Amino acid sequence: MAHSTQAAHGHMQDYEGHVQAVEADLEYWRTKRLEPRVIQLHRRGVVTLYDLLRAAAHLPAPSAPTGEATHDTEGRIRVLEDGLDEYIRGVALASIDSPDHPFVIEDTRKERGDYDDFFRIAKPPHGGTLKERIARLEHDLREYRRLLQVLMRALLDKGVLTTEQLERQRAFLSGRGAWNGARIVAHAWVDPVFKQALLARGREAVRELNIPPGRLGKLGVAENTATLHNVVVCTLCSCYPHDLLGDPPWWYRDDGYKERIVQDPRGTLADRFNLRLPESVEVRVHDNTSDVRWMVLPRRPAGTDGWSEEDLARLVTIDSLVGTAQALTPAALAQNEC
Amino acid sequence: MGAPEAMHRFHVGDRVRVKGTNPAGNPRTPAYVRGKSGIVTALHGSIDNPLDHRGVYPPLCSVLFPVREVFGGASPDTLSVDLHEDWLAPAGTAVPSRDAC
Repeated sequence: MAHSTQAAHGHMQDYEGHVQAVEADLEYWRTKRLEPRVIQLHRRGVVTLYDLLRAAAHLPAPSAPTGEATHDTEGRIRVLEDGLDEYIRGVALASIDSPDHPFVIEDTRKERGDYDDFFRIAKPPHGGTLKERIARLEHDLREYRRLLQVLMRALLDKGVLTTEQLERQRAFLSGRGAWNGARIVAHAWVDPVFKQALLARGREAVRELNIPPGRLGKLGVAENTATLHNVVVCTLCSCYPHDLLGDPPWWYRDDGYKERIVQDPRGTLADRFNLRLPESVEVRVHDNTSDVRWMVLPRRPAGTDGWSEEDLARLVTIDSLVGTAQALTPAALAQNEC
Repeated sequence: MGAPEAMHRFHVGDRVRVKGTNPAGNPRTPAYVRGKSGIVTALHGSIDNPLDHRGVYPPLCSVLFPVREVFGGASPDTLSVDLHEDWLAPAGTAVPSRDAC
């Protein structure tokens, strides 16, 4: 099984943090990915709102809420997180381009208001007690997933997508992931020739590891040193080498992160990510602007001489690829895995 | 792509100023660096990225800005932003007669 590179941020004791993450990510995927696509498809007459109504009529009625009352708070949050993951996978599937109706990413950015607030889709307020927020998320997620299900049905009914295309996309999505990034970093730590190739021609270099390089512009690799710490953001949207590394952490798409990291890089790393860097280290923020997509090459932790690449890769968290953390120390890894 | 230097107007080390308004068709420059000056640190050539946008944007440079020049304050940190050359103008020359462009 692929090793999870999710950092061990906040255990489930931190209900508040988990709920906030679900709220932010769910609204991102709805307002920035799914609904602009629905509007775009309607605008161009590919799948209209009326096609959606017809598809909805052919689908079974939405099921009643299940089990929400039977779970405790932690159980309800876990169900929400699983539902969100499924929603995200579904949105990614529904966003495949039909060869007959090609969209470029830039069209979607315009459509969803990345360059013009006029086009932004409103997000609901998220106040209230923890229980109220969880109940609202359960309700919203049900509705959002229903729309996604209806859209998927309409795309297939109208022949915009075929089930074969969906299967191919599913296989492609499961092949990406931060684990690729971890393997790339571990190999760069042990092979200086590969590292030079990676820094110069990132996408071409990763073929050596049998990792599909992806096609979204150039891969930028920013190497951390004793005097330079790199961190990545995309302030205009959420560009990331996701065709190579899978999806970034949820907060990468969070406006708070985008605004603060450029204005106060060092303070944001300290306050939000508990990463305190000495004054002798320059913090450099790379703002992704889509033609070059950046990842960080973290420093190899001390005490790892003679480690295999496989073991080294386990030290590389998704946060360290974005630059909001260092690679794990051997001690931290041991603690995480016990 | 290939040797990117040949297609660039600017060189590594040049001081450039970011334009304040959108050149036609290319919206991808963060608002916070508009009107600011920085130093070119890398040349990427013209990047073929058909999944992302139609046509090919002008050559792309990485430009380094001190945080304190963009946002004020005393931060020692830096921002590296990749900018297409249609957004950039030469900056910081002390000899006015040299820069007619």
